[in-house]
Amino acid sequence: MKKIVVLVIVFIGLLLTPGWAGQDLFIKNGTLLTITKGIISGGDILIIDGKIRQIGQDLAPPEGIPVVDATGLYVMPGIIDSHTHIALSGTNEGSVAISSEVRMKDVINAEDTSIYTALTGGVTMVHTMHGSANPIGGENVVLKLKWGKTAEDMYVPYAYRTLKFALGENPKRANMMVVSANPRYPQTRMGVVAIIRREFEKARAYMEEWKRYNQLKKNKKLVSFLLPPRRNLRLEPLVLMMEGKMVARCHTYQADETLEFIKLSKEFGFKIGAFEHAWEAYKIAKELAAEKIGISVFADSWAYKMEAYQGIAYMAAFCAKNGVLVSINSDSGERIRRLFNDAAKTMRYGDLSEEEALKLITINPAIQLGVEKRVGSLEVGKDADIAIFKEHPLSAFTRCEKTIIEGEIYFDRAKYLEEQKKKEQKKKEKAEKKTPKGGLK
Amino acid sequence: MRVLKNYLIFFFVWGLIAAPLFGEVVKPTYALVGCRIHPVNGTPIDKGTIIIRNGKIEATGPAEKISIPEDAEVIDAKELEAYPGLIDAYTQYFLESTSPSTAQRQSRMMAASPPEERSWDKTGFLVVENLKFKKTTLDSLHRAGITTILVSPPQQIFAGLSALINLNGEKLPAMVLQDKVALHLYFTTARGSYPSSLMGTVALFRQSFYDAQHYDLQKKTFLRYPDKVSRPKYDAFLERLLPYVIEKKPVIFNCANLEDIKRAIRLIEEFDLNGYIAGANEAWRVIEWIKKARRPLLVSVDFKPPITSRYANMGEEIKEKAEKEIYPHNPAELQKEKISFALVSGKISKPGDFLKNVRLAVEAGLPAEEALKALTIIPARYFGVDSYLGSIEPGKIANLILTKGELFTADCQVRRVFVDGLSFEVKTAEAKSTGKAAAVNLSGKWKASLVSQMGTLESTWELTQEGNKVSGMIASEMGNWEISEGTLSGNKLTMVIMANIMGQDMELTFEGEASKDKIRGTISFAGGSAEMTATRIPDAR
Repeated sequence: MKKIVVLVIVFIGLLLTPGWAGQDLFIKNGTLLTITKGIISGGDILIIDGKIRQIGQDLAPPEGIPVVDATGLYVMPGIIDSHTHIALSGTNEGSVAISSEVRMKDVINAEDTSIYTALTGGVTMVHTMHGSANPIGGENVVLKLKWGKTAEDMYVPYAYRTLKFALGENPKRANMMVVSANPRYPQTRMGVVAIIRREFEKARAYMEEWKRYNQLKKNKKLVSFLLPPRRNLRLEPLVLMMEGKMVARCHTYQADETLEFIKLSKEFGFKIGAFEHAWEAYKIAKELAAEKIGISVFADSWAYKMEAYQGIAYMAAFCAKNGVLVSINSDSGERIRRLFNDAAKTMRYGDLSEEEALKLITINPAIQLGVEKRVGSLEVGKDADIAIFKEHPLSAFTRCEKTIIEGEIYFDRAKYLEEQKKKEQKKKEKAEKKTPKGGLK
Repeated sequence: MRVLKNYLIFFFVWGLIAAPLFGEVVKPTYALVGCRIHPVNGTPIDKGTIIIRNGKIEATGPAEKISIPEDAEVIDAKELEAYPGLIDAYTQYFLESTSPSTAQRQSRMMAASPPEERSWDKTGFLVVENLKFKKTTLDSLHRAGITTILVSPPQQIFAGLSALINLNGEKLPAMVLQDKVALHLYFTTARGSYPSSLMGTVALFRQSFYDAQHYDLQKKTFLRYPDKVSRPKYDAFLERLLPYVIEKKPVIFNCANLEDIKRAIRLIEEFDLNGYIAGANEAWRVIEWIKKARRPLLVSVDFKPPITSRYANMGEEIKEKAEKEIYPHNPAELQKEKISFALVSGKISKPGDFLKNVRLAVEAGLPAEEALKALTIIPARYFGVDSYLGSIEPGKIANLILTKGELFTADCQVRRVFVDGLSFEVKTAEAKSTGKAAAVNLSGKWKASLVSQMGTLESTWELTQEGNKVSGMIASEMGNWEISEGTLSGNKLTMVIMANIMGQDMELTFEGEASKDKIRGTISFAGGSAEMTATRIPDAR
């Protein structure tokens, strides 16, 4: 009996803890771009505890629930950025070539104003990553952009664990403005692949060492003086990858080394979550589709360095049409607010349909991050992560009006502008008070 | 009065000279009569007498109950308040500068040799061996009522061991209460070598603690089974970590912002460390973590929002407002939740500012008696010296202060300080700062152009100058760089700029001249230099 009482108390306590459950909200009469279930005009969404409970026309809102009137507006799932570096204190552990021991979750900065910038563009989730300075970077992290909440509230524990890799000019330090007095190995593309392979060889040996130890441990005679191997935080993520518990996200440009990395993944039996940037992916679209490896790319703006010269405007659309899982990313705390514009470019260059274009910033990145069961489309049972736009989100004249995460409104343009106006007014009044009236000038 | 003063000086000097001759010296006996006593661990006594003999508090109580010994020098303390000497448990006073000069740094950058291995390991650094006493600093500490300080080592990932100092003069051995108080850790980076990022530093902490645990296990297993296990290879760094990772001696984490506090708590819990949280001027923002962790807290009364704070990134106005109106509430908010803490200066480098900011915390709602505990008995407990420091009780060391007006009120003045039973008169005049004064103040915005063989780089500089110390940020299309050390001596300006160029941390050095509206000089970096000119952007207001 006592136990039950304690359990009940604990349960009530959990319910009362803020952040435990999402909010209730009713979105009324909008054009719903569900992504996976077509378009519903004049549609309502009922959100209970931060989850989508009902979608359809003429739903009856429960009494007392806050209502957002979406008449004349477009409602879509919150945009997901599959590759960015916001909300972090630091991007690269650039002092060494291999830094798999570092974890972005250790340096989340929930106060980065880029989070709010992203919200103004309808973004609700980001895969925020280690930079591309190293052949093996660090463990990335997936966050929901709950501005004003803590890093722990933002952290998405059910996403894939991903490790950053980088090939080409960045890890071989081709674009360093100042030639360092202590050049770092590797300096060539072949060196980059070689050092990654070498590290995996080490990780394999490390894994064997632990296996041996765990085997010997069963022997009671040995156990008293048997020493476990030294824990190696640098190799552990690679072991997790070989065990299928973590996936690679690999920064790459040239088609040849992209294929080389696929070979490497087969040699060591790890999974590639997606290739990043991959401006030459159109050359190997068939191979990528066959291997079921996605890409996370820019819509345009190629040729910013030698290895990006062979980019083409049709890249994302072409790959998508050839069966590659494509997402459009920002890689930036500024472009992140215009991902819907970037998605629209694939209609102009490559003739993607509206639905296909929207997938590039919603369900596709969700699949790449392993969170497609929770977010990425408007479906009953999914998290109520939603963006509301003035015009169709792929229109050049649109803008995001509201951004909602788990039923809670984190960005409301009208409210924001109202607040700004009030602040201006206050400032003015203050200034007027200070200026003495009348008198000599 | 004059006679008394001469007498005191004589006595003090005699004490210093005589000490080496006689070994144990008998210190003077004083009777402080008529003061209001704030004992900290008891109720205040309105008209009280305190007897100090041979460095210790002999008796304390209502004036009518305490008889004055014949040999005592009577000090009329009517209308004065008596408190235990204040303890500032997180400072860097008297620390001899050990950071390399700009020239040294530069030559190191240019050198073809790889950067120093384990440059972040200063676990062998003993503060007690790196102190240099300055009379002016001692005086200003006394003027703020501070009689005991914890001196922590300079910023470094594994920074070294702090010392607890009783401010009884200027002679080192007599001042040291404890020489190896705690191991100090900072969430900083090893510029130019591993780790060069905060996440790298967290990884380094974890790997090092795991290594220490493993090393300990190896050693112990070897001692038990020398015939079966091979002898572990000696590792000086891990040896120095063992007392903290295995024997659980205190480890102090410097926490510059709320995320640092969480990072520290996660490490403390992962490795079951005897961890202290220091700095923590955003502690109220993670109060649930603080409550759950129940760690000793050294809360700084530095109220500047940390650079990661949103209050620091939404314009100057919000930042200033936060410093004045939000951050001073930190101690009061902690106290409301019944969380115990010590108040410390941390980044504040002037004792006067420290006391002033404690007053601001009191004005923001921290009860004065709690503030007093946070400056006396609580830090004494944290460092295991509460049996002889931190309150006015018979038998304790005579660290006392006499003030005119209650502590933490605007017009409170410290009149006399006793440390180890030695009396120090407090001069009211502000001590002059040392070093050549700055000719102009460079605070404000500057437009700068950098001309080198690589072309011209335009940038905006935002400088802040306090005294002759210059700090600030440089914003250009290559990113935001921080000015880590800047000094304006007369017209001569030197600065160290921490730049991140294409993901690589670099140190640039600036040397030049500054006038009111113009800065001109040379920026040097590994592999070259560039000419820099900057003009002041007129203030819009």
